[in-house]
Amino acid sequence: MKNCAKYLLINLFCLIIWASWLTSVSAASQRLIVTGSSTVAPLMSEIARRFELQHPEVRIDVQTGGSSRGINDVRRGIADIGMVSRALKPNEDDLHAFSIAMDGIGIIVHASNPVRSLNPKQIADIYTGKITHWKSVGGPNARITVVNKAEGRSTLELFLDYLQLKNSAVKPHIIIGDNAQGIKTVTGNPHAIGYVSIGAAAYEAQRGTPIRLLALNGVTASVENVHSGIFPLSRPLNLITSRVPQGIIRAFIEFARSPQLYPLIEAHYFVPIDTD
Amino acid sequence: MRDNQQLHTVHRIRDRLAQCLIYSAVFLVGAVFIWILADLARGGIMHLSWEFITESPRDAGRAGGIASILISTLLILCVALIAAVPLAWSTAILLVECMPAASSFGKTVRFSLHVLAGVPSIVFGLFGNAFFSIYLGLGFSILSGGLTLACMLLPILTSTAEAGLRAVPDTYRLSASALGMTRTATLIHLILPAAAPALAAGLLLGIGRALAETAALLFTSGYVERMPGSLLDSGRALALHIFDLSMNVPGGDMPAYASALVLVTLLLCINILAMKLAYGLQRWRIMT
Repeated sequence: MKNCAKYLLINLFCLIIWASWLTSVSAASQRLIVTGSSTVAPLMSEIARRFELQHPEVRIDVQTGGSSRGINDVRRGIADIGMVSRALKPNEDDLHAFSIAMDGIGIIVHASNPVRSLNPKQIADIYTGKITHWKSVGGPNARITVVNKAEGRSTLELFLDYLQLKNSAVKPHIIIGDNAQGIKTVTGNPHAIGYVSIGAAAYEAQRGTPIRLLALNGVTASVENVHSGIFPLSRPLNLITSRVPQGIIRAFIEFARSPQLYPLIEAHYFVPIDTD
Repeated sequence: MRDNQQLHTVHRIRDRLAQCLIYSAVFLVGAVFIWILADLARGGIMHLSWEFITESPRDAGRAGGIASILISTLLILCVALIAAVPLAWSTAILLVECMPAASSFGKTVRFSLHVLAGVPSIVFGLFGNAFFSIYLGLGFSILSGGLTLACMLLPILTSTAEAGLRAVPDTYRLSASALGMTRTATLIHLILPAAAPALAAGLLLGIGRALAETAALLFTSGYVERMPGSLLDSGRALALHIFDLSMNVPGGDMPAYASALVLVTLLLCINILAMKLAYGLQRWRIMT
């Protein structure tokens, strides 16, 4: 019985030694911190992993929290690079932006909904509560469930900007965060309408998830149309820095924009940009 | 005589009814658990393999495994428990053994613990980010995540331990002091072992809450899915990984299910182990 306690003590001691060793091991010599948009974060972690393989002396920590956080952290110097999933605004011209990909925003409804296309006026009326039944836009006799994005999301800003709406004018029934959540919400509610990233929605629809992308102003919501720039509702995914990037930051941004990453960007359902 | 018999039947029917209701309630509670487990198993078992547990994630978690994330999760949990358990349990001992239950100091401590227990986890996350990550300069790290979790665990651990210690009958303390045992000896040999199951139950609640935490860890221990090299590295927790896969990564549902299955299995194992340990400790300590 006494032995038992002794072993426990020895184990505890070993644990403490091990923990202190863990804290003392020095990390790689150079560390980059990237924070911002949660839409870009999964793609960016993968780009960072590939960059680390080529540059073993560099470590890149990718953190999320939204585009506004990316801008804040870069301005305060907490992060070296920010991820922002929209174009920079005029009051943000102190920052340097580098686009790595495009992303289209598509309106989605449940697959059982017969509506195929909406114009911006109808969408604005639906989101401001002037149209409350699908019947008014050629759908079934049911109330529309309006799914909106949470405050601070770039998708929301882009959407409102396109429709010339204020967020206080929108009367949502459900407020969501990320793309996959939006898709799941519409999947589970046959009378819902929402807006998500086109790439993700197209992928889910092709996998058999019961959602449909609506054409906007007659333009089909497809990755090709975002790529060619015909689709009206699209945004650039940017990396931002507070100073003109130098050294390893510059190398990383150039790597993220290089053609060898196009397959990876497409695998994350975004649209690569031809930089040259 | 006849009346009496009729009354008897009525009573029996009423008893049966109550019994049925109780059983159906029990069944319902069990069914919820089994349903969750079955749903997870159905969605995740196909994706689960030895490689899934021993490999690091690739392609934002859609390929590869969860080894690095499991390690980060366990490290965060260890830090949280090492920081919180001694503090919480000694507070509980102070409140029960060294203070009259009605003292104003004890009341204040208890009240603040109750308030702390009701604070939403995102608030702890923001606090942890502001205090540990930025003010103390720990950055996004397993250490700051673990310490933030420790703050969250304090109220749970303290109040469960306090309730457990109070449940030990006062006759134990009186008998011990009649035998001339010191208060410390009484505490170590009698009261703590007698309260061990309650302490273990509190510990389990705490571990459960810590493993399930997402919001507080997003801002403190971070999003990095690499294998942590030190406690000052950022490491993604399992719950956060599941959240990210199911809400943010298109095509991440299968690995999310499998990771959730691993998380639930981990919790079950820890629960069973802790229960066994607590009962063993109780019997062994009180006998010697």
